[in-house]
Amino acid sequence: MRFALQRDVALIYSWLPLATGVVAVFLSLAPLHVPGPVVATPAFALMAVYYWTLHRPDLFPASGAFALGLLLDLLDGTPYLGLSSLVFLAVRAALLPVGSRIAGQSFPIVWAFFLVAAALALAFEWLMLGLLTLAPVGPRPVIFQALVTVALFPLAFYLLARLQRAVLVRP
Amino acid sequence: MIFPGVLALRERSDSAIRITASSRVIAQRLAVPFLVVASLMLIVLGKADLILIERARIATADALAPVLGMLTAPAAAISEGMRHVEGLFTLYDENQRLRADNARLMQWQNVARRLAAENAELRALTGYRPRGANFSISAQVIANSGGAFAHNVLVDAGARDGVARGQAGLTGEGLIGRVAEVGGRTARILLLNDLNSRIPVVVGDARQRAVLAGDNSAQPLLLFLPPHAPVKTGDRIVTGGAEGVFPPDLPVGVVASIDGDTVRVAPDAALSRLDYVRIVDLGLSAFLPQGVVPAPSSRAPAKAPVGALAP
Repeated sequence: MRFALQRDVALIYSWLPLATGVVAVFLSLAPLHVPGPVVATPAFALMAVYYWTLHRPDLFPASGAFALGLLLDLLDGTPYLGLSSLVFLAVRAALLPVGSRIAGQSFPIVWAFFLVAAALALAFEWLMLGLLTLAPVGPRPVIFQALVTVALFPLAFYLLARLQRAVLVRP
Repeated sequence: MIFPGVLALRERSDSAIRITASSRVIAQRLAVPFLVVASLMLIVLGKADLILIERARIATADALAPVLGMLTAPAAAISEGMRHVEGLFTLYDENQRLRADNARLMQWQNVARRLAAENAELRALTGYRPRGANFSISAQVIANSGGAFAHNVLVDAGARDGVARGQAGLTGEGLIGRVAEVGGRTARILLLNDLNSRIPVVVGDARQRAVLAGDNSAQPLLLFLPPHAPVKTGDRIVTGGAEGVFPPDLPVGVVASIDGDTVRVAPDAALSRLDYVRIVDLGLSAFLPQGVVPAPSSRAPAKAPVGALAP
């Protein structure tokens, strides 16, 4: 009886990474009024994908990354459904082979790698958008979003690490 | 007699187990490329502008509206906090500016009262009948799209509140955009500065017709101006209302810069700080033909909306 309960609880906890991804998507849509002329909410979902691919890729499968991208695109109102999925899958695929090695490094290195990953991911999204609309898309909003995203990464990392330690690590 | 049958059964179940195990491995290996292909296919379908994708978007927004609504309270608290902090830096200047504004507005209030009285007299004299009932709904913004690539807001009013495609979205300051998608209890407003936004406007005292086109930046462009149109910076821009759905003369913005052929407009409304939106309509939207209003569609309409260039 007790054995079965432990297994069920572990099953529920195994959904944590994807759940944080969903919360991240909702956060990135919340109408926060960042002061300044350009509205660019940080790409919280990207932070979640990066963190969990590094630490628990088994609990954040490709299908999860795909579904998360789909949710983000559906709620965002972008006509290009599937673009975020593609970006998340690409980030995951690029990070999987080196993930465990990066995860073991000190935080500044993890942050630096995130800077690279976020810059590449957002640049890719910007390029795809230009291609799909066949019109020049100004880079300033994307650059601003990349900066805000990278700046807020330490906070997201701290929260996710606390969650992981509290919920997923068995003593 | 039973023995060979049982043996055969066990053999079959063994091979079945082997098949499921190897197929699982194959499935795992194929998962990523399959999902990548699926993503690409969705993007292509999105470009083809399928109504199915629009319906999926609307259904998701409607379904998740309560959750998004729950986030507005803490989000509002946070943004109030940030505004408070920002305000502390500019307190004195803000105060001076507000006093000057107040004095000016009191003067305008008197002018407006006088004009309203005059208007009423003249209407009575000429027997003028206004075009149709203006109809407006107030709605709260429950989601702001991610920002860098799409500029639209989701509001918590939908078809059941009378919202329909093509209606204008306003704040107290001016026009913010047009309703592009409507669900049961949510609606998506495409903001002025979105890539796919095209709004017919009139410019300046000459009421020169043009189209306000977003390009993802903070200041949208004026398109389809004739080559030597008398447009200068500071000209006021208001809605044209030519196609009969958008109420005319709603404030949109001012001409901010003219650089050769490129005319940029500074919108009156603060598009990055939307809390409550008023959705307004002349009451004729039932007659709006499909295709006049772009949804957040992947194809920017090749020609200006009906009526914008009528002489």
